[in-house]
Amino acid sequence: MKGLKKLFAVMLVLLIPLTGCQGSGDEASDDSENENVVEFEFWAAPNPTQEAFWKGMAEEYMKENKNVKINVSPMPESPSSEAGIQAAIASGSAPAASENISRGFAAQLSDSQAIVPLDEFEGYDDLIANRNMEGSIAGWEFADGHQYVLPIYSNAMMFAWRLDILKELGYKEPPKTYSEVIEVGQKLKEKYPDKFLWARADLVQPTWWARWFDFFMIYNAASGGANFTSGSDFVADRDAGIKTLTFFKDLNDNELVLTREATDPFETGMSIMMDIGPWTFPYWAEKFPELKYNETYTLSMPPVPDDVNPADSKTFADTKGIVIYSQASEEQQKAAFDFLTWVYSNPENDLTWFEKTNLPPARDDLSTNEAFLSYLEESPQLNMFAENIPNATPAIDNEKFVEIQEEIGKQALNPIMKGDKDPEKAWDDMVDAISGVLK
Amino acid sequence: MHKRNEKLGWLFASPYLIYTLIFFLFPLLWAVYLAFTNWNTIAPEYDFVGLENFFSALSSETVKAAFFVTYKFMIMFVPIVIIGSLLLAFLIHSLPRFKGLFSVGFFLPYLASGVATAIVVNGVLSYNSPFNEQLRNFGLDIDWLGSPILAPLIIALMMAWKFVGYYALLFLSGLESIPKEIYEAAAIDGAVGWKRFWHVTIPMLYPSFYTVTILAVGLMFGIFTEPYVLTGGGPEYSTHTWQLEIYNQAFEKLNAGYGTAVAIINSIVTFVSIYIFKKLLEKWGAKHGWE
Repeated sequence: MKGLKKLFAVMLVLLIPLTGCQGSGDEASDDSENENVVEFEFWAAPNPTQEAFWKGMAEEYMKENKNVKINVSPMPESPSSEAGIQAAIASGSAPAASENISRGFAAQLSDSQAIVPLDEFEGYDDLIANRNMEGSIAGWEFADGHQYVLPIYSNAMMFAWRLDILKELGYKEPPKTYSEVIEVGQKLKEKYPDKFLWARADLVQPTWWARWFDFFMIYNAASGGANFTSGSDFVADRDAGIKTLTFFKDLNDNELVLTREATDPFETGMSIMMDIGPWTFPYWAEKFPELKYNETYTLSMPPVPDDVNPADSKTFADTKGIVIYSQASEEQQKAAFDFLTWVYSNPENDLTWFEKTNLPPARDDLSTNEAFLSYLEESPQLNMFAENIPNATPAIDNEKFVEIQEEIGKQALNPIMKGDKDPEKAWDDMVDAISGVLK
Repeated sequence: MHKRNEKLGWLFASPYLIYTLIFFLFPLLWAVYLAFTNWNTIAPEYDFVGLENFFSALSSETVKAAFFVTYKFMIMFVPIVIIGSLLLAFLIHSLPRFKGLFSVGFFLPYLASGVATAIVVNGVLSYNSPFNEQLRNFGLDIDWLGSPILAPLIIALMMAWKFVGYYALLFLSGLESIPKEIYEAAAIDGAVGWKRFWHVTIPMLYPSFYTVTILAVGLMFGIFTEPYVLTGGGPEYSTHTWQLEIYNQAFEKLNAGYGTAVAIINSIVTFVSIYIFKKLLEKWGAKHGWE
C-alpha cells in the first residue's frame, strides 16, 4: 500500500508541469510585479518582417511608457491565421489586438461581437486626422456605421503590362478601355499565336478569395467602386456588373485568356497582362532582375467600359488592418489603442513599415507627404500604388463574404469563362444565389 | 493480491486514460454537442438547432460531392497502392543484401511534406512546364488539373507515391515471416511459379493485406493537403473531399456547428466503410484458414 501511495505521488508530480503549461494573457497581467503596469498581447502577421516591425514599435513605446508591457508574437496559423484567431477566441485566449485582419473577416468578427468599434475610443478622430487617412478609411465603414478595423496598408491592385511586347505590337502604353484591351489581344494573337493576354487559372475555379483579384478589380473599375452589399441587402450595380461579365466573355471568346496553371507566365512573356500587388516586386528583383519598370513592364489601373472615362477607374484594395478584441479587459483595450495612436502619430513609423514590407501604408498623403517621397523616388514602381490608395475599394463588409464570393465564381464568372452562360443570365443567377445567402 | 494488481493496472494505464479523456473524449462530446447548435465558436450566444445541421448537410451538394469523391479516390488509390507496395515488397525481398537500406529509401516519400509535393507536382503539370511543352510538340495538349477525371487520378497517384514505401514495409514483414517449409511443401504438391504465388504467397500475406487495406481505406476519408494545395477541390468539385468541406465550413465560413455535423457524418461513413471492408477481408481470410 505504501508503494502504491508513492506511485500516486510520482504521478501527481508528473502531472503538475502539464497543468502548469496552461495560462493566458489575463493571468499574466495579474502576475505583474507592478500593479500599475498594463500588460497586453499583440499578434503580428505570421511573417518575420511584420513581426520585427511590431516588436520594434513595442520596444520603443515601452521605453517611453513604463506602465505598459506589450507582448508581440506572431499569430498562430492552424491552418490559416483566421482559423488561429477563431480558435483563440473560442478558447478565451485572444490577444488584446492583432493586425492582418481583412475587412471581410472583420465583418465576421464584428457580427459575433468579438471585436470592438474603434471609433468609440477617445482620440479616434485625432488618430485618423494625424495619419491623414480620412479618405482611405471612409470605405472601411461597416453597415452599422462603426469602424472596426484600422487599415495598416492598402494595396490598390493594378494590372502589370509587358511594355516590351506592347511596343512590338505598336503600342506605347497599356490599353485603358475594354475595346482597346480586346484590340491589343487580337493583335497579340495575330503576331504570337502561342501567347496569351492574361494567364489566370482561378477564372474557372470557384475559389472565393480569387474574386478579389479578377472580378472585383474589373467590377470596381466599371462601377466607380459601387458597394456590392449593404447590410443584408444586395445593392450591386447591375449595369456595371453585366459590362464586367461581358468583358470577361469577350476575352474568352477571343481566346485571349489561359485558364490553366502556368509558372510565371507574365515574367516569361507567355502572357502580357497580370493582376499585381506590390508584394511581387521583391520576387521579381530576386528571380527576374531583367524586368525593369517602364522598360520591360509598366502598370495601369483596371480597364473600364468604353463609355467610362479611364481617369475615373477604381480598383480593389487588398488591405488589412488592426482590430481590438472584446475579450481583453477595458484597460488592455485602452492601452492597445493608445499604442496604435502613438505608432501612427509619426509618419516615420509608416515609412519604416513601407521600407520593410513594401506594403503601402493606408494614408491619403502617401504620394505627397515628404516623409515618403525619397523612398518612392527610389522605388518608382510603387508610385502607382501610392497614388491610387483613395481609388481602391476594400472587400465587402458582410459576414457571409466567403459564400457571396463563392457564388460570384460558381454562378457568374466560372460559367462565363467556360462559355456556358451569357452575361445577363450569369448575373441574374448570381443575384438569386447571393440573395439566398443573405436571407 | 488480485485487487492490488487491479489498482496497479489502472494506475499504469492512467496517464494514457487521462490523455485520452482530455484530448479525445471531451473534444468528441463537445463536438457532438456543437453539431446541434448554430455556434460559430466566436459569438457569445448561439441557439440549439436540433437536427437542422444534419438535414442541411445531407441535402448539400458539396457534402454529396465529398461522399462520392472519396469513393472515387478509393477506387483509384487502393488498387494502385496495394499493387505498387506489393511489387515493391517483392523487389526488396528478392534482394540478396541491403534490404534495410532500400526499405528506408522507399519509405522516405512517406515523410515528405504534402504541401511541398503538391507544389512540385503543380510545377511539373503547369501549362508551360518542359514536360507539357514536349507533349504539345507531339500534339498532346492535356489540361491535367483542369480535367474532372485526371485531377483526382493525379492526387491518387501522388498519395500512392507517398504511401507505397510505407505499405511495402508491411508486406515485406509478411513475406519475411512466411516459413520456407510451406513453400517446400507446396513445391512437393506441384505448386510452383504463378500457382505458388496465387495459392500460397498471397493467402499467407493475409494479415498484411488486412492491415494495408484498412489503413488505405481509412486514409481516403482524411485527404486534405493535396487537393487543398493543388486543386482547391475543383474542377467541378471532382477533388472535393470530406476534410475540405469540413475546413471550408468551420474555418472559412465560420459555420462551426454545421462543420461539426459534417465531421460526424464523415466519421459514421468512415466507420461503416471500414466495417464493410473488414468483413469482406475476414471472409476472404476465413476461406484460407485465417480466423
